[in-house]
Amino acid sequence: MTQLEHELQSVKVELVGMWSLVESQLKKTRTSMVLFDRDLAREVSMKEKRVNAFELKIDRDCENIFALYCPVAVDLRFLLAVLKINTNLERIGDIADGISKYIIEALENFDEDLFAKTEVIKMFDDAISMLADTRIAFEKDDTTLARSIFQRDEVLDDINYAAIDRISNAIAEDLTVMHDALYVLSIIRKLERVGDQTKNIAEEIIFFVEAKVLKHHQEIQRK
Amino acid sequence: MESTIVKSVNYNAYFGDNHVVKDVNIEIPRNTTIAVMGPSGCGKTTFLRGINRMHELIPGATAKGQILLNGEDVMEMHPIFVRLKIGMVFQRPNPFPNLSIYDNVIAGYKLNGIKLPKAERDNIVQHSLTRVALWNEVKDSLTKKGSFLSGGQQQRLCIARAVAMEPEVLLFDEPTSALDPISTSTVEELFHELKKNYTLIIVTHNMQQAARVSDRTAFFYMGELVEFDDTKTMFTNPKDIRTQNYITGRFS
Amino acid sequence: MSVAIKYRIGKSTAFKTLVIVLSLACVVPLLFILVYILQAGITKINWNFLTNLPKPVGESGGGIANALVGTMIIVGTASIIAIPFGILCGIYLSENKNSKLAYWSRLCIDILQGIPSIVIGIVAYFWLVKPLNSFSSLSGSMALAIMMLPIVVRSTEETLLLLPDSLREAAYALGMPFHRVILKVIVPCGISGIMSGVMLSVARITGETAPLLFTAFGNPYLTTDITKPMQSLPLLIFNYATSPYNDWHDLAWGASCILLIWVLLLNIFTKLITRKWKVQL
Repeated sequence: MTQLEHELQSVKVELVGMWSLVESQLKKTRTSMVLFDRDLAREVSMKEKRVNAFELKIDRDCENIFALYCPVAVDLRFLLAVLKINTNLERIGDIADGISKYIIEALENFDEDLFAKTEVIKMFDDAISMLADTRIAFEKDDTTLARSIFQRDEVLDDINYAAIDRISNAIAEDLTVMHDALYVLSIIRKLERVGDQTKNIAEEIIFFVEAKVLKHHQEIQRK
Repeated sequence: MESTIVKSVNYNAYFGDNHVVKDVNIEIPRNTTIAVMGPSGCGKTTFLRGINRMHELIPGATAKGQILLNGEDVMEMHPIFVRLKIGMVFQRPNPFPNLSIYDNVIAGYKLNGIKLPKAERDNIVQHSLTRVALWNEVKDSLTKKGSFLSGGQQQRLCIARAVAMEPEVLLFDEPTSALDPISTSTVEELFHELKKNYTLIIVTHNMQQAARVSDRTAFFYMGELVEFDDTKTMFTNPKDIRTQNYITGRFS
Repeated sequence: MSVAIKYRIGKSTAFKTLVIVLSLACVVPLLFILVYILQAGITKINWNFLTNLPKPVGESGGGIANALVGTMIIVGTASIIAIPFGILCGIYLSENKNSKLAYWSRLCIDILQGIPSIVIGIVAYFWLVKPLNSFSSLSGSMALAIMMLPIVVRSTEETLLLLPDSLREAAYALGMPFHRVILKVIVPCGISGIMSGVMLSVARITGETAPLLFTAFGNPYLTTDITKPMQSLPLLIFNYATSPYNDWHDLAWGASCILLIWVLLLNIFTKLITRKWKVQL
């Protein structure tokens, strides 16, 4: 292995480490939401700092490799992808932190019926598994797996789309859940963002492996 | 004007029994800069020297196939005529040590016995030296010998000497490999200027240089033209795995 | 430890001293010859010595005008014959390093250089003197030309081989034909080396005696006819020095002195030319 390959390898390992951290942040947020565990939510909030530290470290490493090795072709694409995935992961970390903040703020347990009606837990599970799958796709340069993300994101979009009706129905049925309902709506909105970020990550993976730019293209080209 | 200036058709070159350039087909558009890269011994310099028929000066060297300059086969033309149309600059700066800077620039006329009026000669010298950004540095010492200049200046003098003949194509055989970084960047700047009037074909070992100066890049490996594409594409998304391994330094 | 080092330093110093002493020893014979001949010869040289013919035995005075003119003619003719051949051959050898012809001609020239001068004289005698039935300065010039040739060829070849290939390439790349590359670039760049080779070969043959013995033969009278026997300095020295007459010995000393000065001048001149015309590559 050349020195450049060593450097790229270590960046990859770091990014995967960051990825796992963000995944666990999302999982903990989900658990804290379902069980209404404020302590766990606080832990997520605390660990957000580590995600930020990861982002800075990876940014700096990429910068150094650009400066010292002038990477080209696949190496160049890989580093560009790493930089963007890095940003996307950090945003997902922020989202997990944001949802945790809601749970800390909320005065009492969320209404469990609302969870069932809005499919927010399914949405959470999907988002987590999408993130995990993009990680695997990244580790294995698996563009088929990365492509599958685009369709799975549509499920999240559908839930998000249906959320307004579902929430307003729930409020119409029972005015006391208004407070909870608005929180859940916010959470759904945020999870939809996770789906978008994951989709962007999948695009970056395809870009660095196949050198195809899928951003802002029609669905047909994604298959 | 036709857009393709140099075209090779099944060009093969040999040193004795050694087949060094194999079936090269390439079309080079007018007024572009082409970088030719590849590992040592891949035949890129031989191909370059084949274009202006310098290849056959080496004992035992032969060539087959066609090199078309504006549609005419250079293999059918007289080499002297070809070399007037296709100038060449070499790895090491090689001004004529017995001539002054002035005479070096018009060496192509003077040494070929072409008589020109003094005014025209002065004009050619000034024009050529200006074009290679050397005029201001040497205008007061035109009568000094060319070998008193620094390496970078000597190389620019050699480029001026080639430019003075008003060729259509300029070939560069690793033109900056003997120069320091500052001179190298001066010469590289020059490529951008020269591109407006000439077609440049540059053999280089320096991949970053190829990336910086050229519009298109050709990659040679084991005597074959592996890939010829837009430089940007070549350095972001090469099609051939051999090209990718070479430019990313994973060549074994 | 320190003893071992001192021993090694001692050996090193001893070796350096030896080298210096031996180098000095090489200079001694030259100085000796110079001083001796100048002492003996310089007093004999005057205007009459240079412009008069030798007097017959018994008369004092007389000069070596016939030998001076003869040497000039013989050496000049030899140079005219050998230099163009030599330079062109040298150019061929350096331009076609690896051809068969180059290999064989290089071999022949090396052998030619090793042939004793007396043998060359005999050959010239059989080739020119016998068929023409007369000794002649032309045949002497031929013999000397043969002696000159290898020196000129080799010095030209070696000088031109030192020129970088990039110079030829530069010239060819400008569309220059072969003869112009040679005449306008290669030869001008190597001119100092070629000229020094030529000068040294002239200096060398001026002093040759053996090839002239059977060819130019010698002549007590002044002549400029190259088909006739002709006097030359080395012949004069050879004949007069071995004669029993003191007057003739004086002439021989003076002639030796002139010859010596001529060779010295040529050598110094060569050095000057090499320095002046040297092309900075």
